[in-house]
Amino acid sequence: MESAIFKDRAVLVTGSSRGIGAAVARKFARAGANVALNYRKEGGSSEKKALELRDEIEKMGRRCVALKADISKKAEVKELVAGAVEALGGLDILILNAARSPFKPIERLLERELKQLVETNYMGNIFCIQEALPALTESKGQIIFISSLGSKFYNPSYPLGSMKAAMEAVVRDCAESLRPKGIRVNGVCGGIVRTDALKTLRQFWEELDQMPEEVFIEPDEIADAVLFLCSPAASGILGQSIVLDKGMSLSLFRSPGKK
Amino acid sequence: MGQNLITEEKVIDAVKDAVAETLSIDKGTINADSSLIQALDAESLDFLDINYRIEQTFGIKMARHFILEHIEEMYGEGSAIDEDGKLTEKAVELLKIRLGEEAPEIKVGTDMDDIPAQLTVQSIANGVRDILNSLPEKCTNCGAQQWTSEDGAKVKCGNCGEPAAYTNGDDLAVEWLKKLNAERKIF
Repeated sequence: MESAIFKDRAVLVTGSSRGIGAAVARKFARAGANVALNYRKEGGSSEKKALELRDEIEKMGRRCVALKADISKKAEVKELVAGAVEALGGLDILILNAARSPFKPIERLLERELKQLVETNYMGNIFCIQEALPALTESKGQIIFISSLGSKFYNPSYPLGSMKAAMEAVVRDCAESLRPKGIRVNGVCGGIVRTDALKTLRQFWEELDQMPEEVFIEPDEIADAVLFLCSPAASGILGQSIVLDKGMSLSLFRSPGKK
Repeated sequence: MGQNLITEEKVIDAVKDAVAETLSIDKGTINADSSLIQALDAESLDFLDINYRIEQTFGIKMARHFILEHIEEMYGEGSAIDEDGKLTEKAVELLKIRLGEEAPEIKVGTDMDDIPAQLTVQSIANGVRDILNSLPEKCTNCGAQQWTSEDGAKVKCGNCGEPAAYTNGDDLAVEWLKKLNAERKIF
């Protein structure tokens, strides 16, 4: 999937300074696309990593811009999309990857944490869709949501899973409601993806370290699926959140550490 | 600490190692009073990674939640952080006791998102020390009083080989809060 099939396409990836977002941005750039990166906070390691990734993508000969925006704030999303459209000359593909969540059981969430959870992971993604709609309508573009298995199964201290489930419903809904505009909407639902967030998850899910190597997914594998879904080869797929988990969810019981 | 099997220097050194590895920076640039966020560009995900590395070194469990979260869970939402996300007077009183002189910038109205910026290598080392100090007198498995450490970091029973059973960081924070509040009636 690394031929230039996305040559000169304009792609915006939210939350793309590291992990899955960065892998998706890099892979699109290798496949010829121009990319708008996004990070949430000024002055931290995310900004630093986003700027490094921007330089890396520019060296590939692509246009790239790194834009600061907290997607939970509608005004910032407006600026983010406007900045991406201006820098890249339009928008063909929107990747909804940014996420933010406390790690604790749902029954212990404070009102403030609950609000942040919904504002970023549900409302924030919808703000992105709404703001990107004019540009995506013009390009007959695509939207891909990055989900996780928490949408379907219990993970300890992972309230984000309920937001992922809500967003998978949004994927189905928008796939149909945006069909008349020629916009295709799908999702990619990752299992245990080897990202920085995994380091967090393993603190709340001790058995994670005993999981066999064979069930871990690399961010690049998620990125491959995202590029596939955005390619003409996937024109028949609509409103789906494709599971990539190396078969982890197929088995009710998996003996830790054993094949 | 750890009944004198682990030195203060070892703890500081291990925290520096964890920070250097997590942030991919030169260990030599890290001081005990380096602010993880202001001086070293760490972010919230980095803290958890740093904690994880420290846990692997000492065989302990660091706190998963910051003290402000425990206060709000124990004494009600709004007790430590107001609706605008700012510290209340009571939270400031408590954080001053908790962090002492290491947190000069904390005052009423400080944004809760700015609190992690106050954390230093030393304050993380203090948290590690508190956990190491929770080492029980006797082995919980065989009852022997023969703690040993080969590497000056992981402690095990010299009799049966059972790893030391420390109290975890969250439970220690909750215990500390209960005790302090019983004495001073802050909340």
